Amino acid sequence: MENQGLVNLEIIDLVLAFGLVLLSIGLARLMKVGHEGQMLWAAVRMVAQLLLVGYLLHFIFAVKSPLPVIAILLVMGAFSLQVIGGRIRNRMPRFYQVAGTSIFIGCGAVTFLFCAVIVRYTPWYDPRYLIPLAGMIIGNSMNGASLAAERLAAEMRERRDEIETALCLGATGRQASQSAVRSAFRAALMPTVNTMAAMGIVSLPGMMTGQILSGTEPVVAVRYQIAIMCAITGAVSITAYLILLQGYRHYFTQAHQFRDE
Amino acid sequence: MSEFGSENSVSVQVERVSVTRKSQEGVETEIVREISFSARRGEITVIIGPSGGGKSSLIRLLNRLAEPSGGRILVEGTDIATIDPIELRHRVALVPQKPFMFAGSVLENLQRPFLYRQQPLPSAGSEAVLQSLSLAKLDPSLVERDARSLSLGQQQRVGLARGLITKPSVLLLDEPTSALDRRTSDALAATLREICHSQRLTVLLVTHDLRLAERLADYCLYLEAGRILEEGRGEDLLAHPKSPELIRFLEEPGAEV
Repeated sequence: MENQGLVNLEIIDLVLAFGLVLLSIGLARLMKVGHEGQMLWAAVRMVAQLLLVGYLLHFIFAVKSPLPVIAILLVMGAFSLQVIGGRIRNRMPRFYQVAGTSIFIGCGAVTFLFCAVIVRYTPWYDPRYLIPLAGMIIGNSMNGASLAAERLAAEMRERRDEIETALCLGATGRQASQSAVRSAFRAALMPTVNTMAAMGIVSLPGMMTGQILSGTEPVVAVRYQIAIMCAITGAVSITAYLILLQGYRHYFTQAHQFRDE
Repeated sequence: MSEFGSENSVSVQVERVSVTRKSQEGVETEIVREISFSARRGEITVIIGPSGGGKSSLIRLLNRLAEPSGGRILVEGTDIATIDPIELRHRVALVPQKPFMFAGSVLENLQRPFLYRQQPLPSAGSEAVLQSLSLAKLDPSLVERDARSLSLGQQQRVGLARGLITKPSVLLLDEPTSALDRRTSDALAATLREICHSQRLTVLLVTHDLRLAERLADYCLYLEAGRILEEGRGEDLLAHPKSPELIRFLEEPGAEV
């Protein structure tokens, strides 16, 4: 069967599409949001990074050994860490250490499970599968991580009275920060849970749309999407859990004292 | 004072204690400077002084909610730096300025210290609950009420009962009446006096409310800019201040004794 539905986008089409970004920046300016520069910079980065990655992938897909592929995944992880590090407003103590190990373990474990146990393609490191999959998993975990870290910092500040009262009553740091940690975990998972609930009805996710646009049978694309959503949910929750598990500790001393900023 | 006499014995001893705080720019300021004093069992020791003078920072050291940068603190003769902080906080209870009420009933709030220690929770009719309610002068019928629906005065008493339920030997209070009106504040003062004497507790209270200080202080310390500028028996100190700082503090508008 010929892929007759596959339409190649020309540069001029992309320029038209970019008009929508400019429209959104215009709206932000109209509302005096004050983030126009940041929006434009993000949009320019998006274009440059995607173009670059398109060419890169072209060469990477030809790679026949696991090490370069893993190196690329690590670079992706480090990059995501740098993105949230810059974006987050209330940074918890030792943010990079905490978020870095959490993303590494959370995404690494889920990606491995997905490739080696669920999809089982050979070779397991085939960059054509591994890189886009890991990309989706890391991208979503990055959002989860930044929500978890940001919310934890905010909760710790807002719940200061509650936490100190609990400490006075003999709570450990862990017990005293339980409700702060809980609500940070909830906040981290909220977007993923919402996405799952709306999936297929409100939104056709990017990966599935892409697959269908490039000619895959919808029934096959949907199965992939289900597996991916499950992997994303798993990775986001493991990453958020690890961030919170390590993160709350840095707000307390060994003697169960709440650290002042 | 005789070592063996009937005088109240020293229960809390603060020896040359300092607290430094680091600002965000990394500049260290001393907010408590080499303070020494002692507090006796069965007495109320009141620390007065202007806000920002180091009162709250000082009292937070006594249950190790914060650590001093120098000096040491003895409770019943033991350096508290050697006591497990969780253990210490059951023996030295601190009732904060505005005690936080956890979501749930008064009973659930009183059960918190047991919950944290993973001990069996006392029931509404248990001796521990009834006794702490009666010490704080709270009606036992309030036990099932939602703690956050209570008035501020009642919440302050729940905070007190919750602090007393672990049977501490030292009770610390940070500005206990700052959110209360005059009548509620007077009633709370009477309760505190009664608890201190009936339970032979060592009570340390921090306040800028001179009226409260006058009603309660067996012993009184005046703290300003991190130093104790004057101390003495409560009624003497407040009636016959000597240092110019304390005289000025007592004369300040709004200060009514």
